[in-house]
Amino acid sequence: MNIDDYRLPGELFYKPVANEMAIFEAAWQQRLPVMLKGPTGCGKTRFIEHMAWRLGRPLITVAAHEDMTAADLAGRYLLTEGRTEWHDGPLTRAVRGGAICYLDEIVEARQDTTVLIHPLTDARRMLPLERRNELVAAHPDFLLVISYNPGYQSAVKDLKESTKQRFVAIDFTYPEPSLEAEIVANEAGVPDELASVLVRIGRASRNLRGQGVEEGASTRMLIHAARLAASGVSVAEAARAAIVLPMTDDADLREALTEIVAACIA
Amino acid sequence: MKPEPAPAASLERLLRGRDALREPFHAARQHVFELAGAAGVADWSCALLDLLAANAGSGCILAFLRLSARVSAEHAAALPTLAAAAIAVCRHAGGRAAQACIELMLRTDDRSEIWPGGAGGWPGFIRLAEQAPDCVVLLAERAETVLRVTGPAGFMAFVIAGLKFGSRDKARRQAFFRLEDAAAQRELQRQSGAITFATQERRLKLLARGVWDRGLLLRPMPAVQGHPPPRRSSVSNGVILLPELFNGVAPSQAQALFRASALHAGAHVAFTNGRFSVGTLKPLQLALIGLIEDARVEALAIQRYPGLRRLWRPFHVAVPTGNTAPALMARLARALFDPDYDDPHGFVAKGRALFAASASDLTDAAFSRRIGGMLGNDLGQMRAQFDPRNYVVEPAYRDDGLGLWDFGDTPEPPDAVVELQIQAARLRQGETDRQAAGGANDSPVGSQRVRPVASDGGIALARYPEWDQQAGIERPEWTCVREVPAALGDVASLEAELARLPDLRRRIDRLVRAARPGRPVRLRRQPEGPDLDLDAVIEAATARAMGREPDESVYRTSALRRRDVATAVLLDVSESMRSRLGAATLMDLERIAVALLAETLTGLGDPFALLAFASDGREAVRLTRVKDFGESYGPAAQARLAGLRAGLSTRLGAAIRHAGAEMGRISSFRRLVLVLSDAEPSDIDVTDPLDLVEDARRATLALRSRGIDTFGVILAEDARAASVSARIFGPGGFAPMRRLEELAARLSDLYFRLSRR
Repeated sequence: MNIDDYRLPGELFYKPVANEMAIFEAAWQQRLPVMLKGPTGCGKTRFIEHMAWRLGRPLITVAAHEDMTAADLAGRYLLTEGRTEWHDGPLTRAVRGGAICYLDEIVEARQDTTVLIHPLTDARRMLPLERRNELVAAHPDFLLVISYNPGYQSAVKDLKESTKQRFVAIDFTYPEPSLEAEIVANEAGVPDELASVLVRIGRASRNLRGQGVEEGASTRMLIHAARLAASGVSVAEAARAAIVLPMTDDADLREALTEIVAACIA
Repeated sequence: MKPEPAPAASLERLLRGRDALREPFHAARQHVFELAGAAGVADWSCALLDLLAANAGSGCILAFLRLSARVSAEHAAALPTLAAAAIAVCRHAGGRAAQACIELMLRTDDRSEIWPGGAGGWPGFIRLAEQAPDCVVLLAERAETVLRVTGPAGFMAFVIAGLKFGSRDKARRQAFFRLEDAAAQRELQRQSGAITFATQERRLKLLARGVWDRGLLLRPMPAVQGHPPPRRSSVSNGVILLPELFNGVAPSQAQALFRASALHAGAHVAFTNGRFSVGTLKPLQLALIGLIEDARVEALAIQRYPGLRRLWRPFHVAVPTGNTAPALMARLARALFDPDYDDPHGFVAKGRALFAASASDLTDAAFSRRIGGMLGNDLGQMRAQFDPRNYVVEPAYRDDGLGLWDFGDTPEPPDAVVELQIQAARLRQGETDRQAAGGANDSPVGSQRVRPVASDGGIALARYPEWDQQAGIERPEWTCVREVPAALGDVASLEAELARLPDLRRRIDRLVRAARPGRPVRLRRQPEGPDLDLDAVIEAATARAMGREPDESVYRTSALRRRDVATAVLLDVSESMRSRLGAATLMDLERIAVALLAETLTGLGDPFALLAFASDGREAVRLTRVKDFGESYGPAAQARLAGLRAGLSTRLGAAIRHAGAEMGRISSFRRLVLVLSDAEPSDIDVTDPLDLVEDARRATLALRSRGIDTFGVILAEDARAASVSARIFGPGGFAPMRRLEELAARLSDLYFRLSRR
């Protein structure tokens, strides 16, 4: 697969919340690795897609999972027709081709993966491929970006201090109500008033964080609800289907959320 | 022809000396004869003879005769059964009690369900007579109220609830059956299926928190003895007190009323800043300032949550009539709330205009004071009737308004204040978890400590429900777990005991090293992996060369061994642990085994807590913290372990629930509660130990449903213990220690097995 296949086809809507674009661009100028922190669905992935497009760089996204090992990132030997053959992993491809490599929820991956990225994130900027006996020097345009949601990580699943300290961090929170409403309205193509109602619901649900819900309704959820409403579902039903029901199975919480939805709708 | 069957003669003889009974007797016999014929009279006479023989007293006989004289055809045949039931009551509680029960039937006018043939109230009275003879009369005199709610089917449940509630305390028991104790009212509410604070509590808290973005403290309002039950909510220092029940509100509306009240009170907490000083304001002015303030915070609330208008709207039912002060105030309240409401009264119109004029700056609470004071003055000059003592805020969801006022030096009724503070400080399990999480991670429970009102047995940690198997319900807040300080024992002798087991220690040490986390384990011949397994590759190539199907599992991978297990060990230190086994007591064996287990866990680096429990009635489930999760297992913990002494009873369910609550704060992947007990739950205030067995079972199931593995290590050898344990922990959920001498060895082994699963 050609590295240019990873280029984004066009601009994706992104509304800056604070100075995150300026920080990211500065980090890009200096080729400093970036860590995007923040709760789920607040726009981290969208932000990095937008920035990749803006900077005209290909973007290779890897969603980390519990079973992901260093080899899944770096590459491995495979058997083909009686011979062994090396296959670059997504990280190696980005390092060689000068793409932005976005490791989503890196803490989910096994510990050895975080060690793998260490030499890439300091002055060395290289990726040692031990099995292949190769040291890949990073393309001048290579940039490593990881995302990290401190909210729902247990103590055992935290980034190592030695990993954390290599990154420039940008903190994402849910945007201010008016801004969030603008985003919802834009993404779902709904009127501002409807978007504001949904944002109000979202904010109230976030107050219940730690009371049985891990996090409140994300901006993404609000956009989903808005889309349902845009296709003719009533706001209450859309909120129920896209926010209340996915968020919890606890009967009391559901009822409280349903009441919150009712309180928000005029 | 006159009915003259055989027993009649002896009856005549017995009644000869009792003139007062003669007339009623003849009337009753005649009535029974008309309904049931000669055979009926024969049965009836036998029953009457038995009643006389039971020495039930002339009052009781008279009541029975009067009942017989007006019995309906339907029930005439049941009179002998009734007499038998009355004799049963009389045998335990005396003739006066039996008389009260029969008189209840006279009062309730022959309602069929109370008759002993049916599900009836009588079995309840007999049970009460057997267990609390002093309460039969008390209940019989009030049984209509109870029966109206419970129906005959629930009557027995009510009696049992009362017996349990006051099992050792005569005064409490009598208060219960006099229906004066709040617990009796709660039981009636529960049986009536009423929407009460208790049934709504969690939802209301979640709702209020979501809407008002703060952990609002919602509490049931204590009923003050000798005062009518509270009818309105109240806000006091940020604590929202809600009535336990809104009397006279249909269940369909009660839920909405609770919600409306909680959110209105929450609006005060959010928007009413500071208190007004009472100064020289008159009661009418206070009421009106409260009314304007209510309208102000609601207007602010609706700005943010327009849907609240729909919630509050149905409770504004004032109509433009009535000129008393309360009526005018209700009209004004509606006018300020409901723009569509039309009210021509000058006072209402003026209030509306004043409010509208100031509405540009709703955030300023001072305007409530200004407008309210003015309107109060107007209303006073109109000489509208106002009785501050009987004034109740309208509509029903609004709070009593007392929280607005700073009464300065005027002392509030001290009892009520103290009661409020107790209520506010009262510990509700779970609620403070997150709020306290901020700075109290090192001592997760410490932050919940409250000084109990009157304690002689440690610091109250939490209250837990208990399962009542007969009633089939969980009785809320039934048990109280109290932390008692640990006695310190001799560490040296404990060490010496352990030193006598060198082989065992070595073996455990080996197991510990093998299980220690962080060691990668190489896995060969995997279907996928980062490396090729060369042996497998060669075999596969050979197979292919020979024309056979090669095994494609030619990869090698490694997996890190990761331990993430937290364990709470619950130690039963009840009296039964004193029983001897050779030279040592069960307690000694338990101590050594736990000491060894603690070493094992320390070696593994698995977090653990050691909690010892014994109970002395439901109000005193005593918990001794031998070692907490946060602290390391050192000399201090060893001394506490060495200092454990056996005594008191075993309320297993409460202990398990508490262990679960402590585990709830631990974020390990695997959470394990290990219960060391002889599986003989009992307590001094429990007549049927099976209740506690069932309760422990419920507690265990509840923990498991929350992902906390609960496992019993049973320190008993008999079959009964095995069957009880199977009931509590499930067939695979416990390990009987058949040979207790081996407990120390087995316990650590068992832990390895459990923590691997």
